[in-house]
Amino acid sequence: MTATDTRLEVDRIRFFEALADEMNADPTRFEVLGDVDMSIALVMRRPTGDAFRAQLVFDGIRCDGVDEIGEGDERQAHCWLEGDLADWQAMFANIVENGRAVGRQTINSLTLVGDRITVHGADPLGVDRFFRYNQTVQALLDGAAAVAAAPG
Amino acid sequence: MTNVATPDAYANLPETNPLGFPLDWSWLRGSKSEWGVQPKPSSRGLTMMDIAVGAYGEVPDEPPRRTMAPRGCDIEDPTPDMGYILNKKSQVWSDNVRELYEEAVARQWSATRDIPWGELQELPDDVEHAICQLCTFLSEVEMIAADLPAKWMWRMNHDFLEAKMFLCTQIMDEARHSEVFRKRALANGGGLLKSKAAGTELLRSILQAKTYTQASSLMHLLGEGFVLDIFRMGELISPTDVEKRIFRMAMQDEARHVAYGTLHLRYAVEHDPDVAEEIHEALDHGEMVLMEVGTQPDLTTALATLLAGGVENIETEGFPLQSQLSVKLLTSYLARCERAGLNRVQRTLLPLDLLGIDPDTFTPAA
Ligand SMILES: [Fe+2]
Ligand SMILES: [Fe+2]
Repeated sequence: MTATDTRLEVDRIRFFEALADEMNADPTRFEVLGDVDMSIALVMRRPTGDAFRAQLVFDGIRCDGVDEIGEGDERQAHCWLEGDLADWQAMFANIVENGRAVGRQTINSLTLVGDRITVHGADPLGVDRFFRYNQTVQALLDGAAAVAAAPG
Repeated sequence: MTNVATPDAYANLPETNPLGFPLDWSWLRGSKSEWGVQPKPSSRGLTMMDIAVGAYGEVPDEPPRRTMAPRGCDIEDPTPDMGYILNKKSQVWSDNVRELYEEAVARQWSATRDIPWGELQELPDDVEHAICQLCTFLSEVEMIAADLPAKWMWRMNHDFLEAKMFLCTQIMDEARHSEVFRKRALANGGGLLKSKAAGTELLRSILQAKTYTQASSLMHLLGEGFVLDIFRMGELISPTDVEKRIFRMAMQDEARHVAYGTLHLRYAVEHDPDVAEEIHEALDHGEMVLMEVGTQPDLTTALATLLAGGVENIETEGFPLQSQLSVKLLTSYLARCERAGLNRVQRTLLPLDLLGIDPDTFTPAA
């Protein structure tokens, strides 16, 4: 698996369903990170001008709500992460290459610098939820390494 | 629940013990408790939110007593006065306090076990000095956020138990933060470096605040908001995975403390609008002291050195990135103030123009 591997179609809802399945299949790993109560949306702007939007709903140590959402619906989530599709692909490629996000490709680093992927919330307390549960979100995203390695 | 106690139930029980002392069966024969009110566990277990039903679930705005008796129980009168001075719900409450308590309990971690101390490596001299200086500062300031709740907790009416329970978790969190930064300063042979007066001055202002709500605004909103942003920066300033892990874990804790403070202040202002001016006065002073701490030359040079990966690139990389992050820090703080119902944008003496922060980007406080 290399950073340029194209098997991961990250702007598809089935990719996020697979990440959620990875999380839900590994309660031991997520239990030590603690319970989560948060809805978070991801917005991936495609070069064609449209965008893919997904919403993930976390409850306890599970991610049970994975839905593709429409334009503007991200504002209903506690917080949302937004960036160009290429930047999302680079982040997931880094995860696949290293088994987990490293360096400035962690979701916290990316949103902290904020020049590629940014964090937003209709309410600052929603954004604070992203910090409160940050390591669980990172662990879910790191699941991309296992999704990429899975047969098919 | 069918076994409802009635006054004539258990009528034939003994009235004295074998030594002749009188016995009290009132608890069994029917107190005013809500026999039959039965909270149901949620998918995560039996949470504080689940049990907040019936008389126990109602938190009075002004409890009639100052007792440690559990809210919702049948209290014998007269009962001793515990001398509480925070007897209004608006003085301590926040609407997210039960959830935050549960979250804190579920997300505890160990500075001994959960940090990969074995992966520490020898670092360039300037970087090791910088991380030790930062950890010295953090180890000092972290404990104020334990001392401050401890100072006020025993003065809070016991009917506000959940707020006190949350503050207990904060005290544990801060002990762990103080522990983990002290351990990091010592673990790689650099040791604890300089403590400067400006940092201690800020801590003293927080501890000496006249009211709990003023203290909470200085600590939860201003001070911990600042510390939360330093922890967020941890990803960028950490020389190894050891420090990264420390900052990531501490960040999650810190965000809970800020979340309590933001909604506590909102609750306080909504229920007692006069308190807003009291908070503003505390923040007028606190922001200036924080500016002094945030710009103190030892802390800024240590942070910029870490951001640049060493002193060599401090001017080309360290300082510019630091300025960029300072803008983010103050922007998040001002947004939290608005969320708390406090319009600081128009009042603050922080140099927003100098930092390039546009006051019009903030949604005005409701
Ligand atoms: Fe802390
Ligand atoms: Fe804290």
